[in-house]
Parts: sequence; structure tokens; C-alpha cells
Amino acid sequence: MLTQREILSTLEMLKNENLDVRTVTLGINLLDCASHDPEILKSKIHGRISHFARNLVSVCDQIGQKYGIPVVNKRIAVSPIAVVGASMSSSQLVEVAHVLDGVAAEVDVDFIGGFTALVEKGIARGDRALIEAIPHALASTERVCASVNVASTKAGINMDAILLMGKAIKKAADLTAKTDGIACAKLCVFANIPQDIPFMAGAYLGIGEADAVINVGVSGPGVVKKAIDRALESDSELDLGQISELIKKTAYKVTRVGELIGQEVANHLNIQFGVVDLSLAPTPNVGDSVGEIFQSLGLLSIGVPGTTAALALINDAVKKGGAFASSRVGGLSGAFIPVSEDLNISEAARSGHIGLEKLEAITAVCSVGLDMIALPGDTTEDTLAAIIADEMAIGVINNKTTATRLIPVPGKNAGDNAYFGGLLGQSTIIPVNNGRNLNPFVRHGGLIPAPIQSLTN
Amino acid sequence: MNKVILSILGHDRPGIVAAVSKVLFEQNCNIENVSQTTLQSEFAGIFIVSMPGSLSAQSLHQSLNAQMATLGLEVHVRSLKPPPATEFIPECESYIITTKGPDRKGLVAGISDVIARFQGNITNLQAVFKGGAEPGDNIMIYEVDLPSQTDQQALYRKLKSRAKELKLEIDIQHRNIFEAINRI
Repeated sequence: MLTQREILSTLEMLKNENLDVRTVTLGINLLDCASHDPEILKSKIHGRISHFARNLVSVCDQIGQKYGIPVVNKRIAVSPIAVVGASMSSSQLVEVAHVLDGVAAEVDVDFIGGFTALVEKGIARGDRALIEAIPHALASTERVCASVNVASTKAGINMDAILLMGKAIKKAADLTAKTDGIACAKLCVFANIPQDIPFMAGAYLGIGEADAVINVGVSGPGVVKKAIDRALESDSELDLGQISELIKKTAYKVTRVGELIGQEVANHLNIQFGVVDLSLAPTPNVGDSVGEIFQSLGLLSIGVPGTTAALALINDAVKKGGAFASSRVGGLSGAFIPVSEDLNISEAARSGHIGLEKLEAITAVCSVGLDMIALPGDTTEDTLAAIIADEMAIGVINNKTTATRLIPVPGKNAGDNAYFGGLLGQSTIIPVNNGRNLNPFVRHGGLIPAPIQSLTN
Repeated sequence: MNKVILSILGHDRPGIVAAVSKVLFEQNCNIENVSQTTLQSEFAGIFIVSMPGSLSAQSLHQSLNAQMATLGLEVHVRSLKPPPATEFIPECESYIITTKGPDRKGLVAGISDVIARFQGNITNLQAVFKGGAEPGDNIMIYEVDLPSQTDQQALYRKLKSRAKELKLEIDIQHRNIFEAINRI
């Protein structure tokens, strides 16, 4: 018999605290679709994805209804297209992106990730073609997401790839100038990219994965915030150790929901269950914000001194709760700080409480990186590359994932507003130090060597 | 060995379980299952008891009555027969149905009627009525076993429309989500 408290607290999380399954992401292996003939390649990709994904949305909706918890997004992640289409030219890869976009619409998923290249140590022919194809592919599709891994702790930082990405971001923004450079919102640059992220835009299916796999992304910043608020209301003397314990327990509950839903979807579709990624992933709605958690912890706003320590506490507690709740935890599992997607962080950027430098600092302790940051349109490709290089260095040296999703908004300046719409939100454009100039440092190119693993001070 | 089921009902006070179990022990009976609860100030207990062949349900009832009357409690005793071998119990799944809404007459009757029509078996019902119009103050929680073959969509539709007539918010969720979140 369940207790009243168990039932009512669960209902409260679901109904008033925005606990949901943010995404069920079906990973589909496309490696054996490879062909020298672009038509065969495209037809095989289309066939493979529709075969595995045709019931994804209906099954997710049915299971969401059974448990009274919405599965907000259904998505697909595929093998890195730079590998699948390694023999294709850049324009042929744009056509592959169109096939991905089309089949995503047919099976009714909102995003399909995996327009991806892994170039942390070197750039192969197919990788170069894919990076070249990214701007056109993203500008001419709605649902395709791209990611490029340019660095890893084992391989170092590929500065040649980073410079190419600076150019690609700039071009993607220019091609979608009318919509504030929205193509860049679908493009992530990574260090130490995990193979099983369910969240977009970084989701792809790793080379070491099975034919098909279900990964689940659970969110719940609102649940964590309300739990902190309630606890402090009943005892304002709680210390940070006790608050950490509270976040851990809350993360446990949220992760359990993800595992339950993921396992059941996987069973229904007869596909292997992969991981739960418990990440505090905000949406631009009140009560679904990571930024608000900082205020509950007593900070004026995210960005003021104390932010890094608070985020370290939150991120670690989330990981510990998640790891205890499920032995299949993966992906990013931590706190996201996407500026435009979080009403509160976006407001902190507008009011000047947080800038690029502090955002970069806190990525050392959060689960991702410089995410959904609108920059002035005249930011040079050199500066974009340099920002990426800085962010990659944080990931490589600290043995963690970092990423950037930067949007140089064409024709707009620092202080202007950029509007991306829907889940992508809106944000004030953040100023960049020395943003308009060339940067000879990044133009040296080459590989920054992998870091030493001893003398860790 | 015969089995009886007995129920005790009356105003709650210390010593009820002690008094019942003392009589049962003296009569050489063995308590197999007990469930007891208190609602507001009233006690209710159900005992399944095995008793020696020499004892009849009637004489046990008399012994219990003699003791319980002094405590102001009512006793009911009935012989327990094993369920017929032909009884068909369908495979079931457990759901939790929760309603919130202003207190009024006919809420439980209205919701349980729909559950019964779909062959749902209410295994536990908790109602917290503080009265008044505040929905959060008036909550009913039904734990229901539904046959696996139940037409879920039809049940959901019917429950939602009945809840709407009764001005209730209603949620229907598989029990597993509550177990997953709250229990290790």
C-alpha cells in the first residue's frame, strides 16, 4: 500500500514542478548503410530510420499517458554522418541532411542528431566534407542537428578543426541571418563528447553502440528548486551539506522516472535500453529554470560571486543522486546553463549579472559549456574559434565534457535582443572582449597536445 | 482447523487489540491476518483466525461479545469458506486514481461507479476531506486493480468526463511510477 505522502508528493512533482521526461531519443546505427553511390546511401538511411522509428512517437505517448508523465520530445540520433558518408562530397552530404530532415518529419520527431564528425586528432576526407556541409545543411533543414568533437583529454585539441568550426558557425549564421542565425542553435562543438547523449543538439549514436538503442533525458530544475524552497521554508538554518543531500535525493527520484519510462519504451519497441541522462535542462518557462535554483540558494542572480561554488554543489549532487538511482546513467548528467533557453539566465545576461567570462568560468564545474550564447554579429571567425579553444581547454584539462553553442547574430550588436523561438528561447546579445579582431594565436593551427595525467595541481 | 473472519467496530481507545487477542488466545485460536485502521475517532479491525475443530463460530462470537460489550465494541463473526475453485481472477495491473475538488455528496459513488463498470477492483481507498472549496483540501486516492485487457482509452475518457461532471481534477497513473520514485 502506498502512503498518501508518496502519492501526493509525486503528483506535486508532475503537476506543479514541471517534472517531465524531456526526451526519449532513439539511437539508430547507420554504419552499414554506407555506399559509394549517394542514391543507395540515401535510400538505405531513409529505410533504416523509418523501420526503427515508425512507432516511436505513438509508443512514447502511450507510455507517457500510462504513468501520467509527459514525454515532451521524441528524437533520433544516428551514427556520425561523416563516417557513414565518408565517400561523399560536401554537396552530397547536404542532400543526406535533407533525407534526415525528411524522415524525421515523416516519423514526427522534432530533432534528428548525428550530422557529426569526430576530429579530435585529425580530419579525414569525409570529416572535412561534413564540416564544409554543415552551414548549408543546417540552414536548409529544420530538424537536423550537427555536432563536431574537436578535442579530447586523450588526443588533445585540434586547432585546425576549431578554426574550421569558427568559419562554419559564421557561415551558418549568415545563411540564416533573417532568423537571427538560428542554424547555429543546432550546432555544437565538443570536447570529450559522450556517445550516448539524448539531449540536442549534441546527440549522436557512438561508434561503439548497438543497432538501435533508447536513451532517455530527464529534466527537473523546477523540482530541485521547489525542494530547496520547501526545505528552507521549514528550516532556514539548513547548511550546504544538508542542501546537497536534498538535491541528491531529488535527483534520485527524477532519475528513477527516466529509467522506468526508458525501460518500458525500449521493451515496447523491442530495442535495447541505453542510459538515463539526468540533466537539469531548463526551458524558457517560469518554474523550469536552472538560474532560479541559484536564487533559492541565496544568490542575487546567477553570475554573482558564489555562482561557481553553488553550481559545483548542484552538479555534483545531481550526479550522485542519478548514479545511485540507476546503473545506466550516462550522457551529460549534470546542470545545463543554456543562456537563451533559461528565462532566468537570459535575464541575468540582460541585467549584466553574467557575462561571457563568468559563463566560461562556471563551465569548469557544470555538465556542458557555453550553451546558446548570442554574440554580436561582427564577432570574427577567429574570435569564435578562440572562444571554442578556451572552452575545449577547460574540458580537456579537467577530463570532462565541454561544448559550445555560439550564435553570432547577424546585423545585431551587444545589448540587442536575439529571438530564436520555442524551446530555444531568446537572449540579450553578450559583448565579446576583442571580438571584432583577428586572432593570430588560433591561426597557428596544429594540435595542442594531450595533457599530462600526473602532477595534477 | 476451521477459519473465521471477525470484525470489531467501535470508538477507539487503548487496549482494543489486547482485549480481542486475549480472548482469541484463551479460546486456543491463532490469528493469521489482521488489518486495522482508525477513521477520525472510530476503530475498525478485521481478523482472520484459525480455531480448533471443537470450537464453533457461534461460541467464539459469544466469548468475544462478552468482553467487547464492556468496551462498547461491536463484534461480527463469520465462518470463512475457501474461494470456489472455479473462480476466475483475471490478470491485473495496479493503477492509482487521484481526484481533487470541492467536497460534495456523491463523489466516491460517481468515480467508483465508473471503476466498477470497467471491472476494476478497488484495493485501497483513502479520502481526505477537510471540507470547503479548496481542491487541495479534498483528495481521494483509489488504488485499483484493472484487468490487463481493459480498454484504457475508454476508461480514461469515461473517468475524465465523470470527473468533469463532478467538478473534480482527476489523474490516472500506473502504480509503478510511485514505487519507482519513492522506494528503493
